[in-house]
Amino acid sequence: MYLTKILKITFILLFLGGLFFVYRYFNPVEHSFFVPCPFNYATGYHCPGCGSQRAIHQLLHFNILDALRMNPLLVLSLPILFVGVGNQVWNYIFETQYRIKLFYNNYFIYGYFIVVILYWALRNVPYYPLNLLAPAN
Amino acid sequence: MESFNNPTENRPDNNLVWAILCTVMCCMPLGIVAIIKSTKVNELWALGDHEGARKAAADTKKYSIWGAVITFVFVILYFIFIAIIGIGASVFD
Repeated sequence: MYLTKILKITFILLFLGGLFFVYRYFNPVEHSFFVPCPFNYATGYHCPGCGSQRAIHQLLHFNILDALRMNPLLVLSLPILFVGVGNQVWNYIFETQYRIKLFYNNYFIYGYFIVVILYWALRNVPYYPLNLLAPAN
Repeated sequence: MESFNNPTENRPDNNLVWAILCTVMCCMPLGIVAIIKSTKVNELWALGDHEGARKAAADTKKYSIWGAVITFVFVILYFIFIAIIGIGASVFD
């Protein structure tokens, strides 16, 4: 059992290392091999995730402001995601059952959901200041 | 820590993190289904339907994994597609 666990953790670390390498050393603005957003490709509108790859590239260079200009919602959500994923990894490695209470609050879940839908609509409005929510050119 | 529970409580993990990650990074429609399912974990557990809560938690995980698989296949197909276009362009140039 320990062996499969160590193998799994190694595999995940290698995968994350690969992602880190790609997003740190290749700017999605300058290279065409990044996967575009299918929604944006099909409709020309921005989805809530559009600009995430560019934002992650900027974050890996510690340019927080540039990252915020690409996808502010993603940048603001990352701390929550880090705590959530970290908690899951901790539970997996040490076989504990910690739960984050915020994630069991349905007001939080539906609230976040509504924020995402509003964000989706508002970042497609082409006027200042709402166009700051869209990925910067 | 106030924001974490007592680890001995046996409430199933609602897997919300994976549902959100799936929505953000992967397949949005399946991620949304997963998020709705994960809110059911809380509701059913509060009602005392522990079996239903466990099933909703398992469903959340299932939909998140399927979303990730679909995205992974899509990305692989995309790379095959641009490779074919690249080879085609260099052959017929």
